[in-house]
Amino acid sequence: MIEKGKISAYQMGILMFPTILATALLFVPSITAQHAERDLWLSPIWASSIGFFIVYIVYQLNKLYPEMSIIEYSTHIIGRIPGKLIGLVYIVFYLHVNGIVIREYGEFVVSSSLITTPLVILLGSMVLVCAFAVRGGVEVLGRCAQIFMPGVTLLFLLLIVLLIPDLHSNNMFPMMEHGLKPSILGSIVPQGWLSEFMLTSFLFPFLSDREKGMKWGMISVVAVMLLMVLTNFAILFLFGGITGDLVYPVMTAAKYISLAGFFEHLESIVMAIWVASAFVKISVFYYVIVLGTAQWLNLSDYRPLVLPIGFILLLFSLWAAPNLQELTHFLGTSSTFYFVSVQVGIPLLLLSITLVKGEKK
Amino acid sequence: MRFVKKAFKNLLGSSSHKPLNNSQQEANQQPTLSMNLNENLQALDSIYADCSDIVIHNFLIAGKTKALLIYIEGLSNIDLIHQHVLAPLMQESVAEDANTNRILQTKISVSNRKNVVTVVDVIEQISNGNPVLLVDQQRQGIALGLAKWEKRGVEEPMAESVIRGPREGFTETLGINTSLLRRKIKSPALKMKSIKVGRYTQTQIVIAYIEGIAEPTLIEEVENRIQRIDMDGILESGYIEEMIEDNPLSPFPQLLTTERPDVATGSLLEGRVVILVDGTPFVLIAPTTLASLMHSPEDYYQRFMISTLIRWLRYSFFLISLLVPSAYVAILTYHQEMIPTTLLLSVAKSREEIPFPALVEAFLMEITFEALREAGVRLPKQVGAAVSIVGALVIGQAATSAGLVSAPMVMVVAITGIASFMIPHYTIGIALRMLRFPIMILAGMLGLLGLMLGIIMIVIHLCTLRSFGVPYLSPLAPMKGRDMKDVLFRAPLWMLNTRPHLTGEENKYRQAPGQKPDPTKGGEHG
Repeated sequence: MIEKGKISAYQMGILMFPTILATALLFVPSITAQHAERDLWLSPIWASSIGFFIVYIVYQLNKLYPEMSIIEYSTHIIGRIPGKLIGLVYIVFYLHVNGIVIREYGEFVVSSSLITTPLVILLGSMVLVCAFAVRGGVEVLGRCAQIFMPGVTLLFLLLIVLLIPDLHSNNMFPMMEHGLKPSILGSIVPQGWLSEFMLTSFLFPFLSDREKGMKWGMISVVAVMLLMVLTNFAILFLFGGITGDLVYPVMTAAKYISLAGFFEHLESIVMAIWVASAFVKISVFYYVIVLGTAQWLNLSDYRPLVLPIGFILLLFSLWAAPNLQELTHFLGTSSTFYFVSVQVGIPLLLLSITLVKGEKK
Repeated sequence: MRFVKKAFKNLLGSSSHKPLNNSQQEANQQPTLSMNLNENLQALDSIYADCSDIVIHNFLIAGKTKALLIYIEGLSNIDLIHQHVLAPLMQESVAEDANTNRILQTKISVSNRKNVVTVVDVIEQISNGNPVLLVDQQRQGIALGLAKWEKRGVEEPMAESVIRGPREGFTETLGINTSLLRRKIKSPALKMKSIKVGRYTQTQIVIAYIEGIAEPTLIEEVENRIQRIDMDGILESGYIEEMIEDNPLSPFPQLLTTERPDVATGSLLEGRVVILVDGTPFVLIAPTTLASLMHSPEDYYQRFMISTLIRWLRYSFFLISLLVPSAYVAILTYHQEMIPTTLLLSVAKSREEIPFPALVEAFLMEITFEALREAGVRLPKQVGAAVSIVGALVIGQAATSAGLVSAPMVMVVAITGIASFMIPHYTIGIALRMLRFPIMILAGMLGLLGLMLGIIMIVIHLCTLRSFGVPYLSPLAPMKGRDMKDVLFRAPLWMLNTRPHLTGEENKYRQAPGQKPDPTKGGEHG
């Protein structure tokens, strides 16, 4: 195998956690609120179903081809040329998605604290840092996530706790005024994010305890769902009806914190802490692209690819959208279809083909 | 063709890589001592030409058999040589018929004696301070264990002081150091393998471990790495450290150095390997983790609650010593909104007259502080007072009133300085001191984001680092919940039932479970 490192299933779970949440916490509450309004806390629950679904599919596929990622077993399932084509689709897709993620990071940092810093510097510095981690391989990624995520999660929960004086639970009533439909409509965009659990397909082959992979994958989905629900509650209680109009509701919420009249305007600290989870997210995507490309080209080592692909990622992030408005518009509208069809549609197709083929034998 | 090339390469490799220091191998090829004493004398004379400290003493055993006694002045105990070797042998009253062998057996009252066969053996014994006796018409010489040289006594270690705990420290003499370990661990399971390294210094290195606790693969790896060293001389354990590290380009120490026998013993009991080097009081402990570098031996001697609190204090000051100057620079340059208004006003007032931007100011002060500290280590005792007075002026009131640095900056530098002294192991403190500067530059360029990127880079590096195969950040990453009891906290001793996961897996339990003291437990006398 190209990657010699091994991670535990628990590390995979903790690795996937920021991979979904880092950017989901930025954009998703306000996009969800545009459809679901007061019921936005319900939407992540509906959306999580797709997370459970994709983890299940990927796990089943992995059981059939335990040592391979989707790039490798697609050629076994549907033949060499179509399989390679699917591999290419994934590489280009993740290049694009990671470009979007890096751009989201850059736009967020520019708008929240470093207003005059050129975007390219921010994007480039992040890609460079991630390249450093990706070169270390999957073990290093797993450990980095283990170091950062408990702290980041605790600080995030602390942020919500500090907001408690400003929270008004009345904002959630009346519940389900227009039935379930708004909350289900609102769950469409989070589904795009949760479909990113497809990335576990690339991590499953490196698990030291593969039988626990499904369990920790599911736990990770639950944790993501719970944190999204919690965030949406906090945002809803704080802002009520105006949530849908905010660009970064969590960041705006951070401005409300005032502790003993001394700790105020903590946006920059929140931003800096958030950067740690963004780093994990970008690195996981980056790693998957580099690894996938190496598998696609049948290389023996992925390390030489890290820097060239980093450069391409930088370009993709600059090309991802002309500005923040268009980016959020894309994320709020067509992105879900795009994310779900590639990340859920293709694996589902592959699994059904193997099942049909298996029955024939 | 390719195969031939490879074979040729192997041949070259093996012949060029022949270790020069492996005395045993060479000894087998060396010429043995001659039967004729004069030949031996000539050989030794030519080897030790121009060595004024060598004493070659010619004498007759019982007035008839020629013999030679060779030793190095200052390395052997001359009184004992006279008393127990020369005096009895030179007596003429020995019975006429007694042969030389019998005389040697009966007359020399020295218990530690070894036969030497080759010239190389003779040289080795003499160099170690053991006088060698050569007798005419004998194939073997006798090395007498009468080494004695001036050595420092066991003193309290200077660099790792404790309030409660043993006061003894290792010394420069290997024999004393091993005895200090043996005095603490009386079990014969404590093994000490000896290796000689250094083409000229022939420094003796001892690898100590406890059989049944330390993993055999680890011991083998340590031994292999040390045996691979081929250099002129080993003057300090730092030489060994630098030659056997996993990642030689890292600023972080990958072996723990200590002067304290209790620390070494504790590590041995955790399944680690201790490397003692002759000529230095600093021993190396492998493998090591960041967590063990943050522990002080006193943590285990104080009450556990105090130790836990002190550990937390230490961890937070670990971060402070790394981050405070850069956080100050970042907030002052980019995120002024975070500072409460009154504080901002007072900071602004004190910075009013300062000509430098915060980053330059911070650099100036930090470098000055480093210089003062380094000067403090090197300076002769007599000028110490002068430097401390000047230092207080440079980092202090005079600097602020001169309008060169602001008062808050002086505070920041002082806190950082204190924080870096809180870390019990000096080597990790140096690493942090060095890493402070790049993070300061990053913070000056990108504010808190830069600071965070710096932290991320350091964490990535720490995650890649290994010490003899053990991840440097374990048990944090990869996480091992069981080991947290001695990292995040210092659990009471009666709860520390298991050894650390990655070094003590051979022999998992270190004590009987359920030993929580309780007066109601009773017993025979209860």
